[in-house]
Amino acid sequence: MIIVTGASRGLGQAIAERLIEKGEDVIGLARSVSGMSIDAIECDVSDYTSVKNAAREVKRMKKPVKAFINAAGVASMNMAVTTDEATVQKLIQTNLVGTIYCCQLFASIMLRQKRGIFINFSTIAVALALKGESVYAASKAGVESFSRTFAREMADFNVRVNCIAPGPIRTDLLRGITDIQIEKITSQQVIPKQFQKSDVCDLVELLLDEKAASLSGQVLNIGGV
Amino acid sequence: MNIEKAKEIVISAINDALEGKAEITEEMQLIGGESLLDSMKLVEVCLALEDLADEHGFEFDWTSEATMSKSRSMFRSVAALAEEFASQSEAK
Repeated sequence: MIIVTGASRGLGQAIAERLIEKGEDVIGLARSVSGMSIDAIECDVSDYTSVKNAAREVKRMKKPVKAFINAAGVASMNMAVTTDEATVQKLIQTNLVGTIYCCQLFASIMLRQKRGIFINFSTIAVALALKGESVYAASKAGVESFSRTFAREMADFNVRVNCIAPGPIRTDLLRGITDIQIEKITSQQVIPKQFQKSDVCDLVELLLDEKAASLSGQVLNIGGV
Repeated sequence: MNIEKAKEIVISAINDALEGKAEITEEMQLIGGESLLDSMKLVEVCLALEDLADEHGFEFDWTSEATMSKSRSMFRSVAALAEEFASQSEAK
């Protein structure tokens, strides 16, 4: 079984659908599960109790968990000086704290199995220090740092932890961002083009493959930096 | 669950993790320089206690604040862990 957070839309949904298409048993976690076409558990990743309850529900299923994909996230493109307090809190709480809660509370399932894979999500904005994304990038830099250290803590138990850092991918998170702004970002990548959800899904598949058994504690920047 | 039963369970879990290679006392530290358990063994003990708690009808939470504090940590000794285990069983 593979668990995907943020599975009701955007990247999370695309990843969940791709994995189902590949024959995986997927459980989505989302704040609202109404209307979702896949098996899902209601869970707000920014709320410790909510994540704990979801982990409890998954444990009760008594099925091996192959991987946990932390795709839930929120974005806000603003300069730090124009970002209000609530937005700062929301970005850190959902992107960073939410990822930590999910890793912490689902880790015991994988520790017990002595195998498993965590895939967390950062952004290319961290490596490129993109202007206008300071708080968002800070929340994701935290995810990268957490993932690298968490990977070492989990390695003894044959659990791998990696991070995917996409560039601008067309999802709801990019609402209001113009094509010119996107091009300005992608021009800074090693491969200066805009990648798609399907490219992220390809990388997820790659990290889930046994052929990626030597990779842990890594941040994979889509498009390259 | 009374404290004596909790001690018995905790000692048995630690004994299994250490494969019977050491004598376990109530004062034995579970974290820090003098601990015989490395981080991997400590996690194994916690997972075993999770299972044993389940058998006794309660949930053993080893990510609580009591895990973190140096002076109050449930891992400061075998007796402290047994106390926490008994206390969580009563709170179910």
